[in-house]
Amino acid sequence: MMFWRLLRQMIVQGRGRLAVALVALVSGATVSAALLNLEFDAERKITRELRTLGPNVMVRSSAAPGAAEDAGAVFGGEALDALLATRTGAEAGEVSALAPSLYVIVHAGSDTSLVLAGTWLDAFPRLTPWWRVDGAWVTDRSDATVCLVGHQAAARLQLRAGSELELRYADRTAALRVAGVVGTGGPEDDQVFVNLPVAQKLSGLPGKVSMVQMNVGGSPQQVERFSAGLAARLPGLDVRPLRQIAQAEGQLLARVHDLLFWSVGLILTLTSLCVLSTTAALAVERRADVGLMKALGGGMNRIVRLFLAEAGLLGAAGGIAGALLGALLSAWIGRRVFGTAATLRPEVIPLIVAVMVAVALLGALPLRLLSHVRPAAVLRESE
Amino acid sequence: MFFRILGESFLRNPARKWLEGAALALGMAITTAAMLTALDVSDRMAREFRSLGANLIVTSQTDTLPLVIAGTDFRPVEEGAYLRQDDLGKLRMIFWRLNIVGFSPFLEAPAEIERGTNRFSTRLIGTWVAHGVPVPDGTTFTTGVLSTHPWWKIEGAWFPDSPAAAATAARDASEAPADSGADAAPLDAVFGASLASRAGIHQGGVVLLRAAGREVRLRASGILTTGGPEDQAIVAPLTLVQNLTGHPGDYRRLLVSALTTPEDQFARRDPDTLSPADYDRWFCTPYISSIAFQIKQALPGADVRVVRQVADTEGRVLGRLSALFWLVSLTALLAAGLVIGSASATTVIERRREIGLMKALGAGRGRILSLFLAEQVLLALVGGFLGYLAGEGLGFLVGKIVFGVPATGRLVLFPVMMALALAVTLAGSLWPLGHVARLEAAPVLRGE
Repeated sequence: MMFWRLLRQMIVQGRGRLAVALVALVSGATVSAALLNLEFDAERKITRELRTLGPNVMVRSSAAPGAAEDAGAVFGGEALDALLATRTGAEAGEVSALAPSLYVIVHAGSDTSLVLAGTWLDAFPRLTPWWRVDGAWVTDRSDATVCLVGHQAAARLQLRAGSELELRYADRTAALRVAGVVGTGGPEDDQVFVNLPVAQKLSGLPGKVSMVQMNVGGSPQQVERFSAGLAARLPGLDVRPLRQIAQAEGQLLARVHDLLFWSVGLILTLTSLCVLSTTAALAVERRADVGLMKALGGGMNRIVRLFLAEAGLLGAAGGIAGALLGALLSAWIGRRVFGTAATLRPEVIPLIVAVMVAVALLGALPLRLLSHVRPAAVLRESE
Repeated sequence: MFFRILGESFLRNPARKWLEGAALALGMAITTAAMLTALDVSDRMAREFRSLGANLIVTSQTDTLPLVIAGTDFRPVEEGAYLRQDDLGKLRMIFWRLNIVGFSPFLEAPAEIERGTNRFSTRLIGTWVAHGVPVPDGTTFTTGVLSTHPWWKIEGAWFPDSPAAAATAARDASEAPADSGADAAPLDAVFGASLASRAGIHQGGVVLLRAAGREVRLRASGILTTGGPEDQAIVAPLTLVQNLTGHPGDYRRLLVSALTTPEDQFARRDPDTLSPADYDRWFCTPYISSIAFQIKQALPGADVRVVRQVADTEGRVLGRLSALFWLVSLTALLAAGLVIGSASATTVIERRREIGLMKALGAGRGRILSLFLAEQVLLALVGGFLGYLAGEGLGFLVGKIVFGVPATGRLVLFPVMMALALAVTLAGSLWPLGHVARLEAAPVLRGE
């Protein structure tokens, strides 16, 4: 009982300096907790950002692409159905977006050849979010009256959102209204986009597509495995992960991971050391107290236990407060940087509390070294 | 007297000075290292993003609409306009020349290869691998697909791409009469993996290629995997394709990989509407739009387009990362400040007795305050300096570990860090000092 009374007295009496030390512990713990929360989350969010690089798996007919006159091989039927089912079937979690496309070279205007892409126009805002559309996206994949025009093609044909456009293929024609002009910097700038049935009807290839673009989630290895699985199930089709995207993504993520890991590790270590030196300073300053207790007949073990209990309580309080503040801080940073609050990791709280208690106890270690002090000398010296 | 007391104070009780100094130095080291990383992260990561390949495409303004399906241009070679390769050196003369990481010109033609009795139709792609481009300032810039398409994987070797080898290849291809090409020594080219497996070509194999009415024998110096349409094609020296198709010195498409700053609101404004001062600022910032503009000025008749897929993602991720690291270093700064402040407060609080004694011996409040402040300032300067050095070292180390390139040392941070160290130390000690200095001597000495 005496022990607890002494402890309480110590804390009440020394609340000034303990409060100051608590500030150090809490701020150290806050930063550590916030960073640990962020470390994990930032990586996941950056992965999601990189996902907007667009489709990373292409499926084409494995027949060789033909010569200049031929717009490449087409496929359809069961293979196509199987592919389209991946969006809703067992792999639905992996395939986040997909669109089949049929490419044909058509004529427009006085005599301009251009590439017509028949596809699911409503899938594109998800599949290729970097497209800049002047006008409106098409939100219905069965609307056979509208098209999107690449901005180079639009400039050549003098089209604007709202203009009328007639496309010709052999003896068939299709009359369309331009819903929007797209700018991508890629080959899409030179193309015209319509819904799939329009292109199939115009080219006389009902039910056929030239290519299916998919956006598959996961690491480069998972994408590779997914593609291999798909290729094995669909002989006759060429399933190809885009190396450009897979490789860049892997490389970038590895860098981001390293960067976060090292800077978070560094800041954590330094912060703990910084807090440690503060708590150690606190302990050193208490030599007089130790000397006084000894002079009053306290056993060294008892005294040390007392101070360790004080330090432990301090560490626990600092750790808990810091972990909570850190959660708030990481939520705020997450919202500032990524627009959504960082997901909290519950395991961070006990970890931070443990680290802070350890730091506080370690900081109290210099007391141990004082076991040989002679009370009289210490008491005199402190004056 | 003042300095003797100060000196004594440091000598007599070194432990607490050490600890406070250590807290200071550590706190400053965290802040310096975090700031260094935050300052560098955007630049460094921008370089990583170049692994995505080109972010600018240059074509001729007067070109017809390309008929590109799945990466293959289905236009006949005779159609459309070309650009001159002689101008390319000028790309390294623009204001942001050092941000041009690399560029590769492309010229393509439909082709047919003959292997025994089988014929395979394919595409012949002419480009540079690592080509020395003479720059008007007298230097040579080496560039090609090795810098613009880093994900291309070659098994075997690339074809030789020195100007001398290219010249020989060019002569062979153009001088040989159309029907005797089969007898000349085979020229090196690289075969796409799908084409190679379809036609049964291995490294070192020789095939007869027919393109634009001419024939040439090619030796497969390597097998290329790209994951793109090049897997079905043959990649050959640019000069060879130029001569086969009768377009010496021409190219159709140039891919440029440039280091850029993420676009902000300012970058999206139309340069024609900017005031002269704003225009200068826009021109002198490596926005992708200003680099595109400068390339357009350097290459007459060229149309420069930004590859949005790459540029947008890059800009967004870079912006987020750099914001993230700024906030992280701000947080680190805040925490370091609080910890240091509390370390100095602890030492001051613990010295109430000393202060009481001084007072009892007749020291004035001003005297005591200035003594303690001098002590704290001295500590702050020494701790701040050591912390800055350690922080630079750590930033260097993190850069080295993560990017293989050490972070750039920033002398600018030195005064910032010293000021910061002073500010937090003083803030931490002023409050308890003021509090203590007001106390009466006797009760303090009694320990109340």
